[in-house]
Amino acid sequence: MKILTEPEVKKLLMKYGIPVTRESIANSPVEAYAIASQIGTPVAMKISSPDISHKSDVGGVVLNVGAHEARTTYDRIISQIKKAAPLARIEGILVQQMAPQGHELIIGLKKDAQFGHALMFGIGGIFVEVYKDVSFRVVPIEKTEALDMISQIRGYPILKGIRGRKPANIEAIANVLVSVSQMAEKENIIELDINPLIVNETGAIAVDARAMIEE
Amino acid sequence: MLSSIFEPESVAVIGASNNEIKWGGRILKNLLSGFQGKIYPVNPKEPIVQGLDSYPSVLDIPGTVEMAVVVVPYAIVHSIVEECGKKKVKGLVVITAGFSEAGNESGEIELVSIARKYGMAMIGPNTLGIVNERARLNASIIGRLPRPGYISFITQSGSLGLALAEWTIGTELGLCKVISTGNKAQTDDVDFIEYLSNDPSTGVIAMYIEGIKRGRKFLDAARNISKPIVAIKTGRSSRGAKAVFSHTGSIAGSDEVYSAAFNQAGILRVDTIDELFDAALAFSCQPLPRGNNVAIFSNGGGASIVAADECEKQGINITDLTEETREKIRKVIPEFASFSNPIDTAGTVSFKIYNDSIKALHDDPNVDAIIVIYVHTMISNAMPPAEAVVEMKQKCDREKGKKPIIACWMGGLGTEEGVDLLKSGCIPNYPVPERAVKALSALIKHSEFLEKVKIRKAN
Repeated sequence: MKILTEPEVKKLLMKYGIPVTRESIANSPVEAYAIASQIGTPVAMKISSPDISHKSDVGGVVLNVGAHEARTTYDRIISQIKKAAPLARIEGILVQQMAPQGHELIIGLKKDAQFGHALMFGIGGIFVEVYKDVSFRVVPIEKTEALDMISQIRGYPILKGIRGRKPANIEAIANVLVSVSQMAEKENIIELDINPLIVNETGAIAVDARAMIEE
Repeated sequence: MLSSIFEPESVAVIGASNNEIKWGGRILKNLLSGFQGKIYPVNPKEPIVQGLDSYPSVLDIPGTVEMAVVVVPYAIVHSIVEECGKKKVKGLVVITAGFSEAGNESGEIELVSIARKYGMAMIGPNTLGIVNERARLNASIIGRLPRPGYISFITQSGSLGLALAEWTIGTELGLCKVISTGNKAQTDDVDFIEYLSNDPSTGVIAMYIEGIKRGRKFLDAARNISKPIVAIKTGRSSRGAKAVFSHTGSIAGSDEVYSAAFNQAGILRVDTIDELFDAALAFSCQPLPRGNNVAIFSNGGGASIVAADECEKQGINITDLTEETREKIRKVIPEFASFSNPIDTAGTVSFKIYNDSIKALHDDPNVDAIIVIYVHTMISNAMPPAEAVVEMKQKCDREKGKKPIIACWMGGLGTEEGVDLLKSGCIPNYPVPERAVKALSALIKHSEFLEKVKIRKAN
């Protein structure tokens, strides 16, 4: 069993054609500045550590960072983590393209002893367990089934666009679901979360993701 | 081959007893009470068992033995099964317990390997037996043969399942096969579903499931059968106690995954035993609706509102009737009654009202299914509307484009005659509107699933 770092998971997602936010690991304040300038600001900066799974809980996430703030933010996150999780191994700071505005969704996988893998779709964010507005399928699924599972959640009307808002790109979500369904067995996934997958009228993009795989 | 177990020409009861309170005595008695094939008791200590010549060993039986029910102590069960193999028995029902259910995996593996060696099909061990009503074969501890019908019932719990099978005798439910699966060592749900899929006398499969052995195969088998499967899967509360790595891992308990898998395979998962048999009853005697549009007809406004509310909950559409239908119904019900759906006769009841109205609803192209409600009062009689429903149903069944009719005769005391008539006329009847609607909902869901499969295949 192996826990992948966020960049490793993103690489995996890209392999299956799932759009991910541009990003790179910085190992120094200067590198953070360089990466931020290259990606284009503002950026998100997140701690990268195999020992920290819920980054925002320990102050490991800072959003909307401008290029000239990247250096100080780097130092600030490192010292914050050293206080909050002194034993955590630090691999650097992930400097990431700021996620676009849109709906925060979750797509996940869980290996199941009976049926192979379960695929989950629903309303994402940090309150997933509270809202529990999700639907499940056993993989593999095809696109019609993906569309079906999207339409099954209570929040579906929100995605369709209510109160004059533009509808989310449902096709793009379905494509991600089908791709995730395909990777389940091939990549020996034990558990995977893409959360959030940000979706707006133009498309879907995986902003954060975590995975545990069988080696 | 499971057919050797369900449709044997000859049956040996190994461990047969004169004592009808013992399982070996009970099962032999049950076989004798209906089965027309050859029956051989095997008991080395008794020369005659329940009036039949008894044999010391299955090997001593002069003729061929197609199926054997094994009711012997654990200590000798392996050698007995070995003897069955040598006798060229084709099917085994192993009642004997003490295997994997008691932590004894190796004893079970050995049993399976003996059965395999001789090419025998085996149900069990630790089963409470099987019933095939069509063959009048009761190789179980159920006290009597069930009423004939199209429902086959697969149960993982022996005692609960068999208690339910006995309970059906007092209801309108008719059973075809009853299978107590036991430990599912050699044959499991996959084999049973495949067998029942090809069994012409099975119309619907009801299942009580605690756990599935071969998940993927099970889903394939369920997907490939066009007959409806209704199932209770217990253990909803159990959750993985593992440390939580992901949101998905935390929410996707085994129960959620079971629900998803069942849904994809077209298995209708129900929550209660009532719903299991309510749905099975409707499937066993009504055609599938072509769509989701229901008409509700009642002599009481309250009952029809309860039904309409439940339809709303189940996603069933209370359809708009055509002008023609409304006109036809307006002619037979009082002026002050409601002739739009749900239709309420405002208390008036007669053969003609029910007959003409149901006929009109059945002919309406906007209507896919009909729920007929009768609410008993001191001034009405439950018989004429029941007669109307049964007569209409028979008339409609002869015509093309059959539509399901679900009844709800409310009031209990005083309605018995009408209820019995519905039963004998093969109209599924429920004591409250919600149950009638839920049963109809099962028919609709299955119909929609088959439609989905058809579309998928066409693409």
